[in-house]
Amino acid sequence: MIKNYFKIAWRNLLKNKGYSIINVGGLALGMAVTLIIGLWIYDELTYNNYYGNKDKIAQVFQSQTFNGQTGTGPAIPLPLEPALRDGYADYFKHIMMSSWTQDSYIKYKESNISRPGNYMQPIAPEFLNLEILKGEKEGLREINSIMLSESTANALFGDEDPIGKVVKISNQYDLMVTSVYKDIPFNNAFHDTDYIIPWDNYVARWEWIRESLDNWGNNSFQLFVQIADNTTFENVTNAIIDVKKNADEEVEEFNPRIFLLPMEDWHLRSNFENGKQVGGRIKYVWLFAIIGFFVLILACINFMNLSTARSEKRAKEVGIRKSIGSQKGQLVYQFLSESFLVVLFAFVVAVLIVLLSLNGFNELARKEISFPWQNANFWLISLGFVLFTALLAGSYPALYLSSFRPVEVLKGTFQTGKYSGLPRKILVVLQFTVSVAFIIGTFIVMQQINHAKNRPVGYEKEGLIQIPTFAEEFSGKTDLMRNEFIKSGAVIEMATSSSPTTRIWSNRSGFTWEGKPEGFQEDLAWTEVSSEYAKTLNLKIVEGRDFSREFASDSLGVLINETAKRYLGMENPVGKFLKDSDEEDPNPPLKIIGVVEDMIAQSPYEPVKQGVYVYDREDNFSYYNLRLNPNKSASQNIAIIERVFKQHFPDIPFQYEFVDEEYGEKFAAEERIGSLSGIFTALAILISCLGLFGLTSFVAEQRTKEIGVRKVLGATVFNVWNMLSKDFLKLVIISCFIAVPIAYYVMNGWLQEYPYRVILKWWIFALAMLGAMGITLLTVSFQAIRAAKQNPVKSLRTE
Amino acid sequence: MIQIQNLKKSFRTEEVETLALNNVNLKVEEGEFVAIMGPSGCGKSTLLNIIGMLDNPTEGSYNFAGHEVAGLKESQRTQLRKGNLGFVFQSFNLIDELTVFENVELPLIYLKMSKSERKEKVMAVLERMKIAHRRNHFPQQLSGGQQQRVAISRAVVTNPKLILADEPTGNLDSKNGIEVMNLLTELNQEGTTIVMVTHSDRDSHYAHRVVNLFDGQIVTESQNRAIGATV
Ligand SMILES: Nc1ncnc2c1ncn2[C@@H]1O[C@H](COP(=O)(O)OP(=O)(O)OP(=O)(O)O)[C@@H](O)[C@H]1O
Ligand SMILES: [Mg+2]
Repeated sequence: MIKNYFKIAWRNLLKNKGYSIINVGGLALGMAVTLIIGLWIYDELTYNNYYGNKDKIAQVFQSQTFNGQTGTGPAIPLPLEPALRDGYADYFKHIMMSSWTQDSYIKYKESNISRPGNYMQPIAPEFLNLEILKGEKEGLREINSIMLSESTANALFGDEDPIGKVVKISNQYDLMVTSVYKDIPFNNAFHDTDYIIPWDNYVARWEWIRESLDNWGNNSFQLFVQIADNTTFENVTNAIIDVKKNADEEVEEFNPRIFLLPMEDWHLRSNFENGKQVGGRIKYVWLFAIIGFFVLILACINFMNLSTARSEKRAKEVGIRKSIGSQKGQLVYQFLSESFLVVLFAFVVAVLIVLLSLNGFNELARKEISFPWQNANFWLISLGFVLFTALLAGSYPALYLSSFRPVEVLKGTFQTGKYSGLPRKILVVLQFTVSVAFIIGTFIVMQQINHAKNRPVGYEKEGLIQIPTFAEEFSGKTDLMRNEFIKSGAVIEMATSSSPTTRIWSNRSGFTWEGKPEGFQEDLAWTEVSSEYAKTLNLKIVEGRDFSREFASDSLGVLINETAKRYLGMENPVGKFLKDSDEEDPNPPLKIIGVVEDMIAQSPYEPVKQGVYVYDREDNFSYYNLRLNPNKSASQNIAIIERVFKQHFPDIPFQYEFVDEEYGEKFAAEERIGSLSGIFTALAILISCLGLFGLTSFVAEQRTKEIGVRKVLGATVFNVWNMLSKDFLKLVIISCFIAVPIAYYVMNGWLQEYPYRVILKWWIFALAMLGAMGITLLTVSFQAIRAAKQNPVKSLRTE
Repeated sequence: MIQIQNLKKSFRTEEVETLALNNVNLKVEEGEFVAIMGPSGCGKSTLLNIIGMLDNPTEGSYNFAGHEVAGLKESQRTQLRKGNLGFVFQSFNLIDELTVFENVELPLIYLKMSKSERKEKVMAVLERMKIAHRRNHFPQQLSGGQQQRVAISRAVVTNPKLILADEPTGNLDSKNGIEVMNLLTELNQEGTTIVMVTHSDRDSHYAHRVVNLFDGQIVTESQNRAIGATV
């Protein structure tokens, strides 16, 4: 029997090729979108699964309150480590200090490469579950050792055995390779840790770190823990929450709270707002889950609509089957197996689509997702998914079709009735509600991104490059290099800075100034620069003057930005002083010589932070900033700069970044979400239109006779087109009126997250509505005009 | 009113070419009642469709009330047809989704007549066809004879100069058939030209003139009676 069903199903598919393509194609497209989103969500939810002890690992976080604003982050002070080791040993299995992940040059013989990595305490190989490929597991016992990831070792050593070889770090320190570990998979924390150097090496190398060993106020380090087997994160947090507050009365006023952020939350729930955990990436997981669900619903609606619509043509078959003894149940079974066949077929096509588009998707989403061929769970879930879709899409047509009464069907008095199309209409309204809401949502996301992109940055970011200068060799050569670069003709101005132009790496407090309110807890962005910083960036001086080489006293000068002027409460800041509040061992006071325009160094969606630009007396810079010669092409300039650079620093790899590209990175996350949801929206619309297209052709076909009669009675092509299109347009207009308030509510909520945001204008909604109607008309017209143009003689002959 | 010369119509399907009409010459005067007869497949409907401007001839000339129709575009034919022609089909061809009233009203809507005027005309013609009491019914709720009366109402509501009827009694019993023929005769006596295709000898006697088609050609024409004479 089932074979008979499949045979009829297959013949039906072949007989109505157009319908089948729309049906299978639409469904496959919807399933492909859902599949890809499913893979993406799976990837997000299995982040950090590499770590077997995931549910016991946490990072130590800290909240502090400045002027009523609570900030939360992973930066902790050094004395916290001994405090936890000594006072709370029972709570932890492992405690591990770590530096931030930072790029370093690693040199062996001729090859010198730059790779990211960390300084960590010797427990790291066990803590990080490293798979040692060569050398010893405990590779960090000796202070001058280094562990390398497999890919880094290959890049440096090729076929040579790296173990026991000596590499140079930052062109300065010799370290011996003790082991090589398998790269941590992409989908995990520390996946970009390509080297690990003992923590003690870090401490030994930097004086400022040694000075911070008993300083609870310098929050510049990371601390990871694995808690003891018999306890929970809550227990540990409760025990250690006040450890810093109780340890040092100087930091008490900031109400520091120490707590654990479980590894489970690192990736998806690491945002904090005023001390409260408020989610994070998880919202995108939800967003895409909702999109995926709706796209699948859209595709299923197509399937339902087309099947029921076409069913009227199969009424006769149902009548005959019933009159020769088929039970209703058997008919339901027949139609369900047909729908299963179609869905299964669509699933195969969907898998093909996913395979073809996975590379592109990975690139767009910055993922390394592969198709889970070997994952049994995946196939099980897929089978469930196919069954579910077949049921969802097939149950309505099955029940509807099988309820036809044979007498009516066969006598020809069978009538679909005035309201038989109603469920279909409701489904179309639902489809277009979703599509229009998607259109509006995507529109607004794009608008917000553009809005932030068009925000004035305060300096000229085009034609500006930055060269990292993380090695000791650069010290004392700033003026020389500036002269050399300018003399080469590729550069018109150069300045150094302690953080890149598009970031703020350092914040300071501990100042006093004239008129500082009692108890004010200041927090200033701190950048050390050379004299020509403002000139190089084309940063406008709005009050006072720029640094000048003519005044020796400028080495104690400082430029402040406009926000800082307001923040410090100074009417006329020029000439005033920022003094060190440490009375016993004060740094010399800094004299404000000028005010510069605010420039965006952090989030383009947020107000510019109050900041100071201090003259760099001690060569603390990390970057050269070069203003390229506008009369030469960028590539010409770069070639010359590289040559000059290599002359002076032959051992250092030449690296550079365009500042405008770096700035563009700030939009990457939103743009990624924007383009992904844009693509999904386009697919949702495509699927809806496919359905509409099928439905129009069905209606046109069903009304062939009527159209013929009307034409005989004098209807023009326009009359007929109008008649056919109007019905669908009405549905789409209803959808618009449902979709607009929903989209407004949701998108307005999304925008609230951005202090610098676009104002929602009515025309966005109007445009989306017009767009939806335009697309509808286009889709419908194709079939409507074709039907309208048919010779009525032909259609009346088909009686 | 109608002047057809050397008219040919052929249908081309994938392989075969059917010559449905071959060298037809026909003249119909204003006020005439012409019956077209002949065996099945001889081209009667084809000829009627061309006269009704639903279809274009392949060759030859067709002059309708002074206008050359052959070679006109569809939109031009529609324009010429509007209000001038009424159709009655064997299978009624009423629109199932519309009521009796709405079906009859339809051609007036396409003539862009005002609503009140439409109502007046539709009611008048429905009264005349004795079907007004059923005006709010749907076609499928009526008998065949009633449906054909609605179809005739629809054909005449615009006061056309020419009515084309393709086997108007083909689906009716003899009582209903005679009723329909009487209606057509009445209309003809009021001045409407009628061209009717029929298989029935009885029906052909209502006409002034009978044209016999065979294999796409007119073989005989016979005069029943003069225009204006009664049966
Ligand atoms: N659209 C078409 N395509 C191909 N052949 C056609 C078409 N319309 C009519 N014919 C052919 O033209 C010939 C005449 O057909 P027509 O419908 O005019 O016959 P008829 O005289 O009205 O017959 P009946 O009395 O059965 O209605 C037939 O051979 C028919 O097969
Ligand atoms: Mg015929």
